[in-house]
Amino acid sequence: MPGNIKSVSFVVLVCLLLCSRLTSVGAAPICTNAQTGCHVLSLSNLFDRVIQHSARMHGISNDLHSEFEQYFLPSRNQVGRVSRNCHTSTILTPNGKENAQRMAREELTEVILKLLVAWRDPLWHFHHSMAHYDDFNNFSSNKALEMSDMVHELRKGVEKVAEKMQGLGITSNTVNSLTSPEALLPSKSAEWRQMKDYDLLYCFRRDSNKVQNYLKILKCRIVPEHGC
Amino acid sequence: MKTAFFGRLVPAGLRCPSSEMICAVFCVFHSNFENIMAVLSSSSNLLLLLLISFLDWLSTPGSAFVTGRDHVTSSAPVEPHITECTSRNQETFRCWWSPGNFHNLSSPGTLRLFYLKKVMPTSEWKECPEYIYSNRECFFDMNHTSIWIPYCLQLRSQNLTYFNEDDCFTVENIVHPDPPVSLNWTLLEISPSGLSYDVMVNWEPPPSADVETGWMRIEYEIQYRERNSTNWEALEIQPQTQQTIYGLHIGEEYEVHIRCRMQAFTKFGEFSDSIFIQVTEIASKESTFPLTLVVLFGIVGILILIMLIVVSQQHRLMLILLPPVPAPKIKGIDPELLKKGKLDELNFILSGGGMGGLPTYAQDFYQAEPWVEFIEVEAEDADTGEKKDNQGTDTQRLLSQRISRHINIGFPDDDSGRSSCYNPDLPDQDTLMLMATLLPGQPEDREASFNAVERAPTPERGERPLVQTQTEGPQTWVNTDFYAQVSNVMPSGGVVLSPGQQLRIQESTLATEEKTQKREIKHKWSEDIEDNNQKELQFQLLVVDPEGSGYTTESIARQINTRPSSPVPGEGYQTIHPQPVETKPGATAEDNQSPYILPDSPQPQFFAPVADYTVVQEVDSQHSLLLNPPPRQSPPPCPPQHQLKAIPAMPVGYITPDLLGNLSP
Repeated sequence: MPGNIKSVSFVVLVCLLLCSRLTSVGAAPICTNAQTGCHVLSLSNLFDRVIQHSARMHGISNDLHSEFEQYFLPSRNQVGRVSRNCHTSTILTPNGKENAQRMAREELTEVILKLLVAWRDPLWHFHHSMAHYDDFNNFSSNKALEMSDMVHELRKGVEKVAEKMQGLGITSNTVNSLTSPEALLPSKSAEWRQMKDYDLLYCFRRDSNKVQNYLKILKCRIVPEHGC
Repeated sequence: MKTAFFGRLVPAGLRCPSSEMICAVFCVFHSNFENIMAVLSSSSNLLLLLLISFLDWLSTPGSAFVTGRDHVTSSAPVEPHITECTSRNQETFRCWWSPGNFHNLSSPGTLRLFYLKKVMPTSEWKECPEYIYSNRECFFDMNHTSIWIPYCLQLRSQNLTYFNEDDCFTVENIVHPDPPVSLNWTLLEISPSGLSYDVMVNWEPPPSADVETGWMRIEYEIQYRERNSTNWEALEIQPQTQQTIYGLHIGEEYEVHIRCRMQAFTKFGEFSDSIFIQVTEIASKESTFPLTLVVLFGIVGILILIMLIVVSQQHRLMLILLPPVPAPKIKGIDPELLKKGKLDELNFILSGGGMGGLPTYAQDFYQAEPWVEFIEVEAEDADTGEKKDNQGTDTQRLLSQRISRHINIGFPDDDSGRSSCYNPDLPDQDTLMLMATLLPGQPEDREASFNAVERAPTPERGERPLVQTQTEGPQTWVNTDFYAQVSNVMPSGGVVLSPGQQLRIQESTLATEEKTQKREIKHKWSEDIEDNNQKELQFQLLVVDPEGSGYTTESIARQINTRPSSPVPGEGYQTIHPQPVETKPGATAEDNQSPYILPDSPQPQFFAPVADYTVVQEVDSQHSLLLNPPPRQSPPPCPPQHQLKAIPAMPVGYITPDLLGNLSP
């Protein structure tokens, strides 16, 4: 019996040690603001970064769209654009400030993520198709690449923001789309392949503007700020 | 075919403007998208459509508001159309229409505006939510405004529908923000030159734009121009609500206005009202200017005052500011000698060398320092003191009439042994005069020698012009009337002549010679002391042999180096009268180096008492007075200056070099 007790206690001890180590490794360090040396960004800071990112993305898309317009479609009217259906048109997005403000935070976050996910592949293809345009200078080609990277980064950033919000209890855990981004893709996800590059740019320009505005509104609602 | 084509495709109720065939075709194209798809499949139609689409964009009447207000084309007859749609805050928008040339439709209500929001799944035309007939305006409030959704507008009269595909837009693309408000400026700084300045302009975003929530992100553009100019200068577009304008000119008036647009969009809003900026000369700069001047001049004045005090040498102040450094100051001695450690010279001077000690007529080296106390050196300058620049000496007076004459002091121009002995120093003026008077012979020699004299002015009387006088003529010395008897030689070196007919000339000659000798000696001693060991003093004691059997020309004490006072012998020939010889420290220009001693006469052997008088027979070429023309002797290595062969009255026998010192003043 004493031998058994000894062995059992030994095993327990080892188990405890291992388990504690495992838990320490697996669990993310929790930092509070009071702790020093802990470089965890605040939600406000995260939002600022993401918003800056989206602003830059929108700027690049606007530049590319204008260049495209200059080189390939000198027509000034918007005949072709308006009737165009973007592949993201199926995503229900708030069409105004009030609508966006009324929407639930989780929904808004989800909309943003949906939009970003939907553009991952099309932009990647767009960047590759840029190489075929001899008239396009390298600058624009780099912009296309940067754009597709930005969408990717922005999506990750927004996911982190959502995570943080969930962790802070601001949003509920109803958003399950984080774990399955493919579910966010619109049903007619293959439509984008039929779109011409110019239409793609037009649609992305519009959607990046949406993302930017939604993020602003979201931040204003979640992080109390002057003027919100 | 075309008509049939159109007729087939155009649905009823939708009337396309038929005046433009191209437009009509395009209208069909858009209205019947699916039909067109079939048409497109055929290549010929495809080509036709491509051509049409290319041509279409060339003329698009009534669609100016979407493409920009600048591109108003009015080529076609104007039908009712939408002139402009704009949004100020991205939350509402409004549109204006115009009946065009159809004046019958201009009355309110005849034309109706319909819009279409292309939302999935259904889209239908709706009428304007709010009419403002006075402006022919249709206002879409927030409920009816959707961003990122295409809108299309059309005008409908009773029968017709006027529709232009170009009148489709999305709201974010037609946003023209209101101009910023509260534009004002503050002066940043003025350049150091005072010609230009910088200004900080700040403003508030338009109140209609919701920038706090970030719904609209606005960037601004400032433009400014000079009052009279027509071109606006545009600054960089940036999203801050303040900006600096650099390099504005003082005194000029500037006009500034601002406009804004949404970031990453292209459409600017209207310009704000202008503000005017003008900065005139700043007076504060002038106020500080005199202050600095005052301070500066004050400092300069104080400095000048101090300098004046120092320079003017107020003695009391000087004593306070610059107390005199106690240093030996001997009257009559050049302080340079004291400083530079020329001990030998100093000794020479102190013991009465050269001029006979420290003549008071010597330069007053301390004229500027009257408070200086001198170390008095006892020197036998009692007599010389009176002779300080004394023009009253008899000799001077005697010779005064001859001053006007030019004197040619000629020095023997004998090249033999000249280099080492030649003393190019000049005698001073008085001596020159005397010499000229005394030397009646050989004018040519005088000239020659005078030139030599000319070459080297006396060191201390350099400025004294050479007195060139021309003697009247050779004066024959063979005159038995001219004689005097030297009865005594005074300790001071003066020669006492016995009463009798004094030969002025002789005296002057003697005096001159003495002077010359003295000068020579003095000069020699003052200049080259080492050489003096070799050079004998021209100490000429006139040894007279009254009998004429012979005479000892030897009057020059050879070894006078022991005694620095060389001119003693010369003085031995002084008359009773005050020393005419201004034995100035100026050295003579004569060949000082040559010992007056004849080479053959090594010793100053003075023989038995001489006679009372003698007669100067002649003056030889070397300006020696030949009392009894001796046999011609070999020329001395250096032309002797004055071989006085006169017969002085030696008081007692001969004078050895040792005794010469007693004679020195």
